[in-house]
Amino acid sequence: MSNDDLKFALFLGCVIPNRYPYIERATRAVFDKFKIQLVDMKGASCCPAPGVFRGFDIDTWLVIGARNITIAEELGLDIALMCNGCYGSLLEVNHTLKYDKEKRRMVNEHLAKIGREYKGTVEIRHVVDIMYNDIGPEKIRNKTKYGRKKPLNLKLAIHYGCHLTKPSEIRPWAKESENPTFFDELMEISGCKSLNYKDKFMCCGAGGGVRGAFKEISLDYTREKLENISTANADAIITSCPFCHLQFDLGQVEVNNIFKDKISAPFNIPVLYFTQLIGLAMGMTPEELGLIRSPDLKGVPPFTPVKPIITKIGETA
Amino acid sequence: MVTKTKNLNKINGRDPPKIGVYICWCGINIGGVVDVPKLCDYARTLPNVVLASEYKFMCSDIGQGMIMEDIKAGKINRVVVSACSPRMHEETFRRACEEGGLNKFLFEQANIREHCTWVTMHDVPGATRIAKDHIRMAVAKVGALKPLEVTTVKVEPSTLIVGAGIAGINAALDLANSGYKVYLVDKSPTVGGHMAHLDKTFPTMDCSSCITTPKMSEVARNPNIELMTYSEVISLDGYVGNFKVRIEKYPHYIDQNICTGCGHCTDICPVECANEFDLGMKPRKAIYLSFPQAVPGEYTIDMKHCIRCGICQETCPTAAVRYDDKPEYVDITVGTIILATGYDPYDATRMGQYGYGRIKNVINALQMERLLSSYGPTEGKVKRPSDLKEPESIVWVQCVGSREFTGKGRKYCSRVCCMYATKQARSYKEKHPNTQCFIFYIDLRAFGKGYEEFYNDTAKNYGIKFIRGRVAELLEAGNGNVIVRAEDTTLQRPVELEVDMVVLSVGLEPRSDIDDIARIFNVTASKTEDGFLMEAHPKLRPVDTLTAGIFVAGNVVGPKDIPDTVAQAKAAASSASTLMSRGEVEIIPYYSTVLSHKCAGCKSCISLCPFNAITFNEIEKVAEINDILCKGCGTCVADCPSKAIIQNHFDDIQILPMIATAIPKKPQAEEVEVE
Repeated sequence: MSNDDLKFALFLGCVIPNRYPYIERATRAVFDKFKIQLVDMKGASCCPAPGVFRGFDIDTWLVIGARNITIAEELGLDIALMCNGCYGSLLEVNHTLKYDKEKRRMVNEHLAKIGREYKGTVEIRHVVDIMYNDIGPEKIRNKTKYGRKKPLNLKLAIHYGCHLTKPSEIRPWAKESENPTFFDELMEISGCKSLNYKDKFMCCGAGGGVRGAFKEISLDYTREKLENISTANADAIITSCPFCHLQFDLGQVEVNNIFKDKISAPFNIPVLYFTQLIGLAMGMTPEELGLIRSPDLKGVPPFTPVKPIITKIGETA
Repeated sequence: MVTKTKNLNKINGRDPPKIGVYICWCGINIGGVVDVPKLCDYARTLPNVVLASEYKFMCSDIGQGMIMEDIKAGKINRVVVSACSPRMHEETFRRACEEGGLNKFLFEQANIREHCTWVTMHDVPGATRIAKDHIRMAVAKVGALKPLEVTTVKVEPSTLIVGAGIAGINAALDLANSGYKVYLVDKSPTVGGHMAHLDKTFPTMDCSSCITTPKMSEVARNPNIELMTYSEVISLDGYVGNFKVRIEKYPHYIDQNICTGCGHCTDICPVECANEFDLGMKPRKAIYLSFPQAVPGEYTIDMKHCIRCGICQETCPTAAVRYDDKPEYVDITVGTIILATGYDPYDATRMGQYGYGRIKNVINALQMERLLSSYGPTEGKVKRPSDLKEPESIVWVQCVGSREFTGKGRKYCSRVCCMYATKQARSYKEKHPNTQCFIFYIDLRAFGKGYEEFYNDTAKNYGIKFIRGRVAELLEAGNGNVIVRAEDTTLQRPVELEVDMVVLSVGLEPRSDIDDIARIFNVTASKTEDGFLMEAHPKLRPVDTLTAGIFVAGNVVGPKDIPDTVAQAKAAASSASTLMSRGEVEIIPYYSTVLSHKCAGCKSCISLCPFNAITFNEIEKVAEINDILCKGCGTCVADCPSKAIIQNHFDDIQILPMIATAIPKKPQAEEVEVE
């Protein structure tokens, strides 16, 4: 299939528009290069968050999720999204409603009040899934081949995030949730090396409403992960989820403060969303990918400086 | 004790039916739900019923006596017993009819226990209605039944045993020593099975190979046993007493009659490949003998790896190498068959969290047996795979692939892992007292004779730490060590240990080719949910299958340890010899018959018959059914476009009255469709 046919409804969620608009910018820029169209979803709300909403009331979670899916159904497009939390929520809402007639009836009763109906006609796709399964490593490799004079040569600590791989039955990774490699494969196309660090598949600490309710506990997780990542001597952390991204990026500043006495030295590991790395490998500029804020644009730069990366690839570029 | 009387045939099937209905209370099983005396009153109103009686337990001597007396008194000439499932007592009541002088096929059993009072026990009016339906249908059928004669066939005094592990070996020796001819077939080039891999056996700590190898060589020496290793059964025809078996003997590429087993060829062979006997932990040559004590002791060339360099051919002092060896096919006829095909160890790569195949120092228990074994890859000195260091700390992870309800493993307990892990830990600790051994378990199951004592002694006197808690995950530490994470459920806290090596106590699974085995031996219907073959009755017929003349022994029916396996093997041998010593066997005459005047000769039944019982008579141009091969499945009856096939005991004139009486009469006028 040619990539020219690929067209998705882009679901933004909450964290990206409010905290990290540059994730959207980078993703759109990279998808543009592959001629994949991303259509805005007018009126989309919070996904809603799997930990917070589903944890308290499953039916509410189903109805709000279904409402978001109906927007894409009207567009007749599969949903592309950039957040593991949104992925977990919408994928599982969609799966539940496709197979549970009772829940579907309940959801449609509620949706009828606002003139909507869940039909079950679209699929939910994470951008990692689209890049790996639709575009494919081969095409990305071709694009990066001539993008830069020299391949990027970074040591990456890749963080999959929980909702990307589990529960594995309904995800497109051939039921592999214990030791998946697809994300590493995708990232190593850039010429970087994916490190094998301790507890690579541990949670970042943010999910499940833990960051909201018990910030210190959630940051203690992050501290443990950061320690394992710095032991492995990583140049950068790669995420596929804005919430994990937040927990590593803003979280580093917080960990450095709260656990001052527990850690040997303050952490300072740049955090990149994966489309930013692919963009760099394809020869795009840090400004285009939101790594450096261009003076004429609004938005927030990363909390943990990414300068070391830019200098490093500047040397090798 | 009832004396056996020959079928008196006093009652002719053409006499007008006089039906006796006997309703059983089965204690409170039936009587506690439905009103049995009222059912009797109902039965008396049915056509041709001359008497209806009830009794607490119809299957008792008194209950059977009631039937016999009524037959002998000439009151009745057909019998309906309304009680439990015919699978339980059909034979009992048929025998009672026969004793009374009635053809035993003029009997019908209405199942009002399993099909009625057990499943409808909370709905008395509903249960009563269902019971009445069953009785009415049985009465309708019994009136149309015809007397049948039991056929007997001769039983060949020979047995085919498939699988030459400890089960097959024991069954073979018992039968051969009773004077029967035994064909012992195994896929691998040697007999011995899994037991030959093991180091020691629990709880006696006997050396496993020391107690297996004498039996192995006995099998080879016994004149009544024809050993067919490196062979496979490829097809089976026939029936109990006269099974026709075709066996493929794989080519050894070495003349087995000339080879002296000197081993010059192995020394000089340039090709090294993985050794399946040592589970890939040691190389072997392309020309090989599985292990030093292998029986038979002749060599084999593994053609998948052989490069045909010709060196062995030049070296062999007896010129036994035959590169152009071909498979050989042997046809034999046997009276009985014993399936003892054993198990496969669970493939632990399916449990991703334990990293088997990914983390070097995580091995499975069968590999540990080889490491502990004096003729294993390290000659009994346990070394871990990554750097050949002698481990100072070992963790055994229990229930890998067993008691697993997530779909990655098996739901059942594999019954041997608790004990073999305890044995391995003890065996290691005996040689290395200063090491640390941990066993992580869910429940410690030490149920056999002397097992609890063995476990207790091991825990108390050998300093092995038993930790109650299933291991969550295994991780690789930088130095090759393995990090074990689990919850200690006794102390209710998570534990993390870094150890030198981890042994996964893998469970026992049905063989990967169990479906082929079931298909070839026509026992496909006899498979339990867990994938193993099913015994005819889990308690009372543990070594029989539902196919007459085919028996099972050992792990082919489910996981079991060596004593249980040997006990089953001996039971299967005894069951087989019972059949053979009598010399003939009765076959239930449910076969189908072709009405040649109706048969159009279309042959469509021939291809459908799953038992190859139908042939075509080229002179008469009609199909013919071999009544002994026919198992009475009814496929051809249903298919025949000319309705030319009738099946004994399940004829249209017997089934249709049942259906007619089961469906309420007098449908509403508007429901009647006019054609």
